[in-house]
Amino acid sequence: MAYHSFLLEPISCHAWNKDRTQIALCPNNHEVHIYRKDGAKWSKIHELKEHNGQVTGIDWAPESNRLVTCGTDRNAYVWTLKGNVWKPTLVILRINRAARCVKWSPKENKFAVGSGSRLISICYFEQENDWWVCKHIKKPIRSTVLSLDWHPNNVLLATGSCDFKCRIFSAYIKEVEERPSPTPWGSKMPFGELMFESSSSCGWVHSICFSASGSRVAWVSHDSTLCLADAGKKMVVASLCTETLPLLAVTFITENSLVAAGHDCCPMLFTYEESQGTLTFGGKLDVPKQSSQRGLTARERFQNLDKKASSDTANATLDTLHKNSISQISVLTGGKDKCSQFCTTGMDGGMSIWDVK
Amino acid sequence: DPHRTGEALRAFHTAIRSSPGNTRSQAMKEQAQGTMLKVLTSFKSSEIEQAVNSLDRNGVDLLMKYIYKGFEKPTENSSAILLQWHEKALAVGGLGSIVRVLTARKTV
Repeated sequence: MAYHSFLLEPISCHAWNKDRTQIALCPNNHEVHIYRKDGAKWSKIHELKEHNGQVTGIDWAPESNRLVTCGTDRNAYVWTLKGNVWKPTLVILRINRAARCVKWSPKENKFAVGSGSRLISICYFEQENDWWVCKHIKKPIRSTVLSLDWHPNNVLLATGSCDFKCRIFSAYIKEVEERPSPTPWGSKMPFGELMFESSSSCGWVHSICFSASGSRVAWVSHDSTLCLADAGKKMVVASLCTETLPLLAVTFITENSLVAAGHDCCPMLFTYEESQGTLTFGGKLDVPKQSSQRGLTARERFQNLDKKASSDTANATLDTLHKNSISQISVLTGGKDKCSQFCTTGMDGGMSIWDVK
Repeated sequence: DPHRTGEALRAFHTAIRSSPGNTRSQAMKEQAQGTMLKVLTSFKSSEIEQAVNSLDRNGVDLLMKYIYKGFEKPTENSSAILLQWHEKALAVGGLGSIVRVLTARKTV
């Protein structure tokens, strides 16, 4: 595992290019900075300045190499590399609150933006007018949309919201694609159709992820739970009340295992047992530092007792690689079915790459 | 005295099992809180760990909710024993069980 400290402030969001030589991130302001890997170093090669508010989401389309960004200024931009300059194209989202998350669809002919306007903007390019237009999915979302993930069929979209629910909608756009074939989530998929809705957990749904096949969806909520809905088992939901602080990001790394991370500052493994329909905690992936555990002298114990009302110094410093909450996880190699490497960024301004063994 | 311990444990499980899950009735909730507090304070310190270990995940979460409810309305000697219950419940339920006390939409 490798850790690089980019900033002293939180990394708001990040995205990787196709060959993982460049990373685009928001350094907790209105800009997007792109860094390129130069041997063991990271060099900043671009600064994208167009947003008037914090950039809350970035996604990098691997095939077309276009970036899409969204921000609290209620806008989204599609960026295209022309020569050595990234040129932005404004996309009118028709929202009156901050945009919170953005994702390209697998075929890169659409992208979805979740916002505080309690709706999702599905954006696609209209050839005749040479601009991006959007359609809204509103019902029955009751609060901010915090997270999005596309199904591999380019039509279904999973969303997590502050109204405590995970939902799967159809984002079928007849202008850009053929009618989709039936999936385990259903066969009729007109635009905006609600294919699945979870019963209320008690926490904002911070992150949501389809498995590689698309027949499972997992999400993490602010009540320290991890849930998984299995379309192959009539959409039954398995849930796990974790012993940890709330998780903020989750991804599948195989069809049966997930990595999630959050306010405990370290990635954790979870496995789904299909026959039992259960989720179990598989351990923390952070290797604790080899701290020298020398004994405390009586004087030191007394000093600790005086200063901190405790003579136990075990929790004085974080043993984890990240020194603050991890807010995003991305799969680097192997895809969501055979992930061999993933990346985490966090509020400590650091980025870490993890190997899956 | 194993007989007394057994009784306390049984009363504990009964109180956990009969907790009114979905009620809006404040009176019912308060009655359950009172019962639970009586049961929790009747335990000896040495018996607490066994009682906590006999619960499943949902039971630990429910216990944690009652512990915090007990903290809200302290009586003469309740805090001391509740803190001991808290320590044992935390060891099993982790910080997650406390988070779920804070995020619960249906309170006990």
